[in-house]
Amino acid sequence: MRAVEDALGIRIPENARILRNLIAGIQYVQDHVIHFYHLHALDWVDVTTALQADPAETAKLAQSISSWHNSSETYFQGVKDKLAAFVNSGQLGPFANGYWGHPAYKLPPEANLLAVAHYLEALDWQRDVIRVHAILGSKNPHPQTYLVGGMSTAVDPESESALNADKVALIRKLFVKAKQFVDQVYIPDLLAVASFYKDWAGYGEGLGNFLVYGEFPDRAGNMLFPGGVILDRDLSQVYPLDQEKVAEYVTHSWYQYGDGDQTAKHPWDGETQPNYTGPKPPYQFLDTEGKYTWLKAPRYEGKAMEVGPLARVLVAYVSGNKRVQEVVNSVLETLAVGPEALFSTLGRTAARGIETLVVAEQLVPWLDELAAQMDAGDVTIHNGDKWDPATWPQETKGWGFHEAPRGALGHWVRITDQKIANYQCVVPSTWNASPRDASGQRGAYEAALIGTPIADPEQPVEILRTIHSFDPCMACAVHVVDTEGRELVHIELEGSM
Amino acid sequence: MADKLVIDPITRIEGHLRLEIEIDGGQVTDAWSSSTMFRGLEIILPGRDPRGAWLMAQRI
Repeated sequence: MRAVEDALGIRIPENARILRNLIAGIQYVQDHVIHFYHLHALDWVDVTTALQADPAETAKLAQSISSWHNSSETYFQGVKDKLAAFVNSGQLGPFANGYWGHPAYKLPPEANLLAVAHYLEALDWQRDVIRVHAILGSKNPHPQTYLVGGMSTAVDPESESALNADKVALIRKLFVKAKQFVDQVYIPDLLAVASFYKDWAGYGEGLGNFLVYGEFPDRAGNMLFPGGVILDRDLSQVYPLDQEKVAEYVTHSWYQYGDGDQTAKHPWDGETQPNYTGPKPPYQFLDTEGKYTWLKAPRYEGKAMEVGPLARVLVAYVSGNKRVQEVVNSVLETLAVGPEALFSTLGRTAARGIETLVVAEQLVPWLDELAAQMDAGDVTIHNGDKWDPATWPQETKGWGFHEAPRGALGHWVRITDQKIANYQCVVPSTWNASPRDASGQRGAYEAALIGTPIADPEQPVEILRTIHSFDPCMACAVHVVDTEGRELVHIELEGSM
Repeated sequence: MADKLVIDPITRIEGHLRLEIEIDGGQVTDAWSSSTMFRGLEIILPGRDPRGAWLMAQRI
């Protein structure tokens, strides 16, 4: 959408800018909290030992780290009973297939019970707060109210069917609820869990190169999270972003380029010609010397880059964002670690919490901005000047960017004769899960895993910690389950060299 | 002698990821990250109205 708007030189109205911030903002908050509790926490929390917890001890712990209302001994006894019933039924559901009892789990039982309680609470909370997407975007996921040139969310304080004062009040209530959970549950839990795993500030470091396109523009076009590039862990400067420096390799990817697979192509000139050369399933190993993935290898000025919360927080910090600096410094102080701790698995997970806090604080002010626009009588949501293809140049191209919760997302489009001539998407996980490039440089996951200690290769929970710290999204939510509904996880161990 | 470990799929993520990991002396010495699914939106979009691209690209 932004790519097409860029190609056609369209400026969107203020209301559309704010609506896009609101939809993306609540998505950050919901997505990051879900990631922490439902995708990442079980790498750190041994659910089964929560059954040994003394609810009185859990209550004491909960009250010592937060003023959240659900913190009585009775409450935690209830959670423990629920968990026990769950385990005794033999149907572990979301808690099946964990590496329970693994020596890398360090939390005491009472902290594990606290985390299980909040795992369950977060499920209810997220369902409620994302109603904002239903109100502003008609549905979630995949909001439907975007439009090249603005939004189709009608805004009118006087109308029953548009976004009116009543709906603004409901959204405000949901934003307050969203922020409260972040302040009183997510952040205290994150800090409490992190304090037991400070050794993970020494693992999972990765590339040390960070890329941010920038997001959440204000009226003047300044970004809450500014775009920029940090190289070689050098926090003394941020290089300005130049999208012309992005290019993709397919040397180790199942694609072919017309002029050979050793070159890199800028996305405006990108090609997507599948060329599967991998083994026929079932197979044991991929040919990692050759092509081994469906992801291309994007590079910035030839360098592999990490994108996502850690990149955004670092670039904002070095660029002088006062609030980000304050929160980062406070987190480092609480954990008694230096800034070098940020370059790690723990740092990546902490950065996700830090930016959630910063975005959650902006939701109500952004909504106030929209309400003020409406009160002033500005109900414009769409700029239709270039809607008619007859107004377009015969040939044009554009670049659209977004900071998705997982990181820098870019779309590049060429338009010829009013039709798409080429369209290339370089999504966050293409950067982070990238394979090697023509010169053999590893992608972010590949680099981050090196040096990770593995206590038991049959139960590689340590690998999950680092990989989950990136919050992978591999293009499409397909879950492979066996006939009994268990997720199929295949671990092979082989002496190979 | 290094061991090679394959995890496929990695769970508790969105989508499909395979890792091949080399382990020596109790730590990871090398890693290969593989997406085992093809996306193909870049093949679907050409020839279409640019005003509808976001609706399809959003599905990524």
